[in-house]
Amino acid sequence: MRALRRAGRLALALLRELADESAYQRHLAAHGRKHSGEEWRRFSDHRLGQTYARPKCC
Amino acid sequence: MKLLAHLFWAAVAAAAALCLGGIALYRGEHINSIWLVLAAACTYATGYRLYSKFLAARVLALDDRRATPGERLRDGHDFEPTNKWIVFGQHFAAIAGPGPLVGPVLAAQFGYLPGTLWIIIGATLGGAVQDFIVLAASIRRDGKSLGEIAREEIGKVAGFVSLVTVLLIMIIMLAVMALVVVNALRGSPWGTFTIAATMPIAILMGLYLRFWRPGKVLECSALGFLLVLAAIAGGQAVAKSAALAPVFTLSAMALAVAIIIYGFLASALPVWLLLAPRGYLSTFVKLGVIMMLAVGILFVRPGLQLPALTRFVDGTGPIFAGKIFPFCFITIACGAVSGFHALIASGTTPKLIAAESHARAVGYGSMALESFVALMAMIAACVLQPGVYFAVNSPAGVVGTTPAAAVATISSWGFPVSVADMTGLANDVGEQSLFYRTGGAPSLALGMAHIFARGGGGRAVIGFWYHFAIMFEALFILTIIDAGTRVGRFMLQDFLGHLTPKMGRAGGLPAVVATSAVIVTAWGYFLVQGVRDPLGGINSLWPLFGISNQLLAAIALSVCTTILVKTHGARYMWVTCAPLLWLILVTFTAAWQKIFSPVPAIGFLAQAAKLEAAAGGTLDASTRTLIFNARLDAAVCAVFMVLVAAVLVDSMRVWIGILRGVRPAALCESPFVVSRLRAEEL
Repeated sequence: MRALRRAGRLALALLRELADESAYQRHLAAHGRKHSGEEWRRFSDHRLGQTYARPKCC
Repeated sequence: MKLLAHLFWAAVAAAAALCLGGIALYRGEHINSIWLVLAAACTYATGYRLYSKFLAARVLALDDRRATPGERLRDGHDFEPTNKWIVFGQHFAAIAGPGPLVGPVLAAQFGYLPGTLWIIIGATLGGAVQDFIVLAASIRRDGKSLGEIAREEIGKVAGFVSLVTVLLIMIIMLAVMALVVVNALRGSPWGTFTIAATMPIAILMGLYLRFWRPGKVLECSALGFLLVLAAIAGGQAVAKSAALAPVFTLSAMALAVAIIIYGFLASALPVWLLLAPRGYLSTFVKLGVIMMLAVGILFVRPGLQLPALTRFVDGTGPIFAGKIFPFCFITIACGAVSGFHALIASGTTPKLIAAESHARAVGYGSMALESFVALMAMIAACVLQPGVYFAVNSPAGVVGTTPAAAVATISSWGFPVSVADMTGLANDVGEQSLFYRTGGAPSLALGMAHIFARGGGGRAVIGFWYHFAIMFEALFILTIIDAGTRVGRFMLQDFLGHLTPKMGRAGGLPAVVATSAVIVTAWGYFLVQGVRDPLGGINSLWPLFGISNQLLAAIALSVCTTILVKTHGARYMWVTCAPLLWLILVTFTAAWQKIFSPVPAIGFLAQAAKLEAAAGGTLDASTRTLIFNARLDAAVCAVFMVLVAAVLVDSMRVWIGILRGVRPAALCESPFVVSRLRAEEL
């Protein structure tokens, strides 16, 4: 049961990482800022700008 | 305890050998797909446990005391030491493209055996080794890209050629992927409506995420997924509507133009509006469908209908012409060895690695899993009746322009199929016709629908699953097209920016529009060429894509070999030289045949000569275009060969110099810094 719960937590963490939600939390923590629409847009623009400047795999 | 472990791994290795031997030697009745699954799982497990451990300990000497760039350069954005299994998932999601799904489906024309062996053995000894070593090399160099590593370790020529090769490969890749989508949606109002609906859904998601619920990506993606499911259901109603069905029944050329316009808009519009929401949705759908397919195959355990080897091993295949060697090995690129993976392994991933030893699971393990995805695609294609498989995948130019002619030709090959069979199947999946649907996507969707429907629901739900699979493939591919066009635009802007700052990244809207148009025109030209091709386009473009992707792998393995020679001399050169030699043999033979083969179905120049001869002295505009296209494809092939030969010669010059002792063997690694990460952070 514990292993199952751990696997579930890991899966959720992976989804949050793929969704950039974890990176956003790290961004807030690193810069000591609070969540807001403006902050998300600033983070998202920077993040997406870098993500979509790299080739995607075929 | 150690003896027990040795015995266990000996048993796994023996099981791998037994299953591989079994599928290679067994002839007669159809075999069950579970044999392929077991052969792959045991081979990957043995390769991971033994070979990758050897690579990690002896060849790469990975050291967890050494701080990774994720720790040293930690910035909370790109550089961040992350849990091993999360990086594994992220890396796998990044390398899992449509290539490993489409390539094996096309290569199934040789039968299931050649492709399956290449997928399993190629990944274990080649693809996973390349990904692992490039990742480890990038970790030791602050997460630098393949091009930067090539420039530092080999020389400026190698670095420049790598960048140019990547741009050229992307143009061919975007064209061939777009062609797969065109062939999947041609004459299909259900599929076209579903995919068209994903555009407003993505824009809605973009606005939701930007203004209404900023930061709630998972929530927004779940909402988007529900809307996409509703679009699939709506597509069925559209296909049945006398008023709406004609609106969404588009010709191949109309679809090609629509995709070209989409590519341009996606490249020029803000990322957050269209690309990003589609990208998030596509990633989650991709992982979910791959898991569903794995569970489906294990649950249903379908039998393989295609034989181990078909008569087309002689090179007369209807889907693409050419013998097993070299064409099977370039048709399946991403599932066995993919040069593109080297770009991902030297991109985001090395910046997230927390400890050097994690590179083994992330680099080698992810590629093994990707190879497993390719194997599942092979199984999905091989569960179809062979006659159906060839009727769906063969172009009209080969099998005949009417359904009656097509089934007669295919049945004469020893794969019986009737017009009634095909009509019944088309009715079941809600399509007007399934003939001449080249490109691999429709037959993969049929195979997947077959497996999912057998898992529950039967024929009543096969139409839904077919269009679900088409939606998954098209969504997936369009994400590659939109992102690829944008990346191509950036690469072009970076290059032009050196000549005139107005065309660089800071050049504003005119530069964005102009460079987007150039990139879209480049791949759009090849796409239109594929649509006009009487042999279906895939016959010309897929081998070109396979050759270019494998040539990029040859560049990556040259870089890896240079690093190994600098580290150990000649001792471990064989690790990367063996797959490199194989790839050189395969790609240069394939490229040579594609240019100079006297068989018009294979050689581009022979094809041009045949068209010229057939037209006599009076060439009309369309024949002139076909002749020009064949010669252009030959020229592109030749350019790839020259570019990669330049990198190989440059690399060999470095290897020989080091081995003779006349050249310094200095590595360009970042300095050793002791890791301070605590155990819980790893």
